[in-house]
Amino acid sequence: MNMHAQPQRTLAETALIDAFGERLSLLPGDGAVMVKRDDAIEAIKHGLPTRRVESWHYTDLRRLLTSVPAFEAGAVVKALAPVLEGSVVLPVLNGVSNTKLPDVEGVTVQRLSEKLTDGSVAPGLERYGDDDAIGALNTAFVADGFFVDIADGAELEKPVELQNLQAGGQSHVRLLARVGAGAKAVIVERQTGEGDEALVSSVSQLVVGDGAEVTWLIVQEQPETATHLAQFKAHIGKDAKLTLFVMNAGGKLVRQEVVVRTTGEGADFKLRGINLLAGDTHTDTTMVLDHAVPHTTSTEVIRNVVTGKARGVFQGRINVHQYAQKTNAKMACNTLLLSDDGEFSTKPELEIFADDVVCGHGATVTEIDHNHLFYLMARGIDEKSARGLLVKAFVAEVIEELDDEALVEALEERLDGWFSTHG
Amino acid sequence: MPAVQETIDRVRKIDVDQYKYGFQTEIEMDKAPKGLSEDIIRFISAKKKEPDWMLEWRLGAYSRWLTLEEPTWARVHYPKIDFQDIYYYAAPKSTPGPKSLSEVDPELLKVYEKLGIPLKEQEILAGVEKPAVADEEAEIGDNVYKSGRVAVDAVFDSVSVVTTFKEELAKAGVIFCSISEAIREHPELVKKYLGSVVPTSDNFYATLNSAVFTDGSFVFVPKGVRCPMELSTYFRINEKNTGQFERTLIIAEEGAYVSYLEGCTAPQRDENQLHAAVVELIALDDAEIKYSTVQNWYPGDAEGKGGVYNFVTKRGDCRGDRSKISWTQVETGSAITWKYPSCILRGDDSSGEFYSIAVSNGYQQVDSGTKMIHLGKNTSSRIISKGIAAGYSQNTYRGQVSAHRKATNARNFTNCDSLLIGDQCGAHTVPYMEAKNATAKFEHEATTSKISEDQKFYVMQRGIPEEEAIALIVNGFVKDVIQQLPMEFAVEAQKLIGISLEGSVG
Repeated sequence: MNMHAQPQRTLAETALIDAFGERLSLLPGDGAVMVKRDDAIEAIKHGLPTRRVESWHYTDLRRLLTSVPAFEAGAVVKALAPVLEGSVVLPVLNGVSNTKLPDVEGVTVQRLSEKLTDGSVAPGLERYGDDDAIGALNTAFVADGFFVDIADGAELEKPVELQNLQAGGQSHVRLLARVGAGAKAVIVERQTGEGDEALVSSVSQLVVGDGAEVTWLIVQEQPETATHLAQFKAHIGKDAKLTLFVMNAGGKLVRQEVVVRTTGEGADFKLRGINLLAGDTHTDTTMVLDHAVPHTTSTEVIRNVVTGKARGVFQGRINVHQYAQKTNAKMACNTLLLSDDGEFSTKPELEIFADDVVCGHGATVTEIDHNHLFYLMARGIDEKSARGLLVKAFVAEVIEELDDEALVEALEERLDGWFSTHG
Repeated sequence: MPAVQETIDRVRKIDVDQYKYGFQTEIEMDKAPKGLSEDIIRFISAKKKEPDWMLEWRLGAYSRWLTLEEPTWARVHYPKIDFQDIYYYAAPKSTPGPKSLSEVDPELLKVYEKLGIPLKEQEILAGVEKPAVADEEAEIGDNVYKSGRVAVDAVFDSVSVVTTFKEELAKAGVIFCSISEAIREHPELVKKYLGSVVPTSDNFYATLNSAVFTDGSFVFVPKGVRCPMELSTYFRINEKNTGQFERTLIIAEEGAYVSYLEGCTAPQRDENQLHAAVVELIALDDAEIKYSTVQNWYPGDAEGKGGVYNFVTKRGDCRGDRSKISWTQVETGSAITWKYPSCILRGDDSSGEFYSIAVSNGYQQVDSGTKMIHLGKNTSSRIISKGIAAGYSQNTYRGQVSAHRKATNARNFTNCDSLLIGDQCGAHTVPYMEAKNATAKFEHEATTSKISEDQKFYVMQRGIPEEEAIALIVNGFVKDVIQQLPMEFAVEAQKLIGISLEGSVG
């Protein structure tokens, strides 16, 4: 899966390479970081991935990324009220973590620019494969973000909300978190913006310590002018639990990668995803899950609603390594395709090298069930409302599964917000 | 490249042997030098006494092939093939076989016995050569053996049986002959349909096949005719020695029905390392084609050396409204299988089916599945795939289901289950689903698991040995597919699965 050498660079590729030359002197980082940046821009020079690169089969980035905006943001942005009331907010505004660091017990926060300058994050800038274009783009340009460290045994009362907001231009951000052994935390990653054309790359890296419990929410509500290329990478330790909730409800060209590895026995991973797709947009959720040790479990449920001319993609690959016996992994991807101009492609993969496992996946694509619609309409509900109810119920099912009332309420509110503008 | 080298060595050895047995004159004429070039293609075409348009077609494919790159996306690994190091017309007729069954590998005979294959058939399968005898009956037998490579007059215990079938087919208006014969006798049909489903530029191996194919079957069932017999149940050994590059073309006109069976449950003596066949099916309005395959070529030895590379392009075109194409396959042989029998559902209300059992053991690699391309309105498709991986094998299901913009009410159901036996093998599932129509309904489910200890215990405590118990459970696992096979084949296929899994336990 090499990125094929391209005969001629696209405008976007040229713009990125030129921008790197111009920005180089402004980017923080010592020699070790610079080596990684050079390596990353080399990968971009080989060309952005096309559909011939298997992991980008449905998102031909080379063709879809038609232009790259200038670096400068178009306007000033301010931190938003958090999704969950009372959260500790850590905003990155137009690519800069320019805020006073909070003082919360058990939590240490550092600006990423400092960690780039001192080189301590250099090892984490590694791309995870030849086809890791988002990793390459981010590594080349990353300038800021946060590093959040949650001490061993700390049980956070307040959620932490990492906000990445920009108003046009480019921003390349990394959000790193370590949750210590036995700690408990709820972390919200908010990705949104306003205004003119934007190119955002955001890489989140999470280490869940042994016995820790983490709920991580990604709420992506970019404007329809933004290209949003994001990656979430996590390692889950022994007897640790990670619940990842991804809600995509915006953006022009979106790719959210989820790369998770279970590293300790008894680790449990849950992925719940909602993709609300509208307009002439392209949204891709790609997951690679490695069950690398025995006795680990995972479940993934993805629900998609496609309207307008939207194109949606879900790729999910579960790798069960040879020694990962007793793995239990289940994945489901259900799609409601509501418009004739919309499309949805899905590729759920299982790669299994161990024999004592129970793995399964299911995928469906369908329209609204006419019987359900009839049932509601027979009760005097007009067609539009009946459809709305059914579609909302279809996605709300995933939200309601989260056993945290505040979370469910907050997410349903976001859902209502989307339906009020797109219903 | 040891695999290719082995073939070459073998062929070379055969040359010497041929000389010893004194077949040289005939053989010399029937052999083209190694390698691929326009001249070789001209030679093949001339040998087949083909018309000019056919030669042009082949040369067109060849020039296209030169521009193509070998595909690498499948989950199979093998040493690079040197295409200039292969005989494209090393007429397989020249292969001298053992003189009697006593010279045949006893292991092979044991397998035949388990499958319950009659003695005469065993000889044919093992490639036993019969000396010419003056006796008329024996001579008939001899002819049969000599021509064992041609489709129609293939391999029967009695010539009269062949004649009866031929007469019956002719009465019904069904044309069933070798593709070479069809090119000469029915050029208008071949011209119209050949390459219309798998175009010459389709993919690397299909293009190669278009340039150099040497034989295969041609079936034409005219309007409204229900083919009076299961075609290959009777001609089931017609595969014998048709060469590496087989080309099959089956056409069912309006309202016609045909069931075609390819392959053989018995392991065949096969000299060819690389098989790149192309199969094209065309179903017009209300027609139905049922195509069943049982493939049990040499899978290589216990260390994974040798074995057949099976790189096949099979595609059916449901061209007419309400047409139906159904693929059933039982794949247990070959070192590497790369095969995706597909359906293009072009006609309104057409339907496609794919039933597959892929068993891999030893160091076999299987990358197989299907494509269901929904183009017409109200089209439906069904995919049932059962993969069983044992030993050190890798077994991949790769399939695509797509509904295009105009494919209103497209419907698909896919079920692919994998069973793992042993902890050194791998089972993989790679389904692609692409919906571009809001009325499409696609469902896909896949599971991977091993045989549970409970199931095994339940069977074994009734006094059944472990290996048989596993065969029994596996046969239960694949039942849905076995049911789609013509009956007598189903019985053999069940036994075959048991045999393929031998040695996978303990």
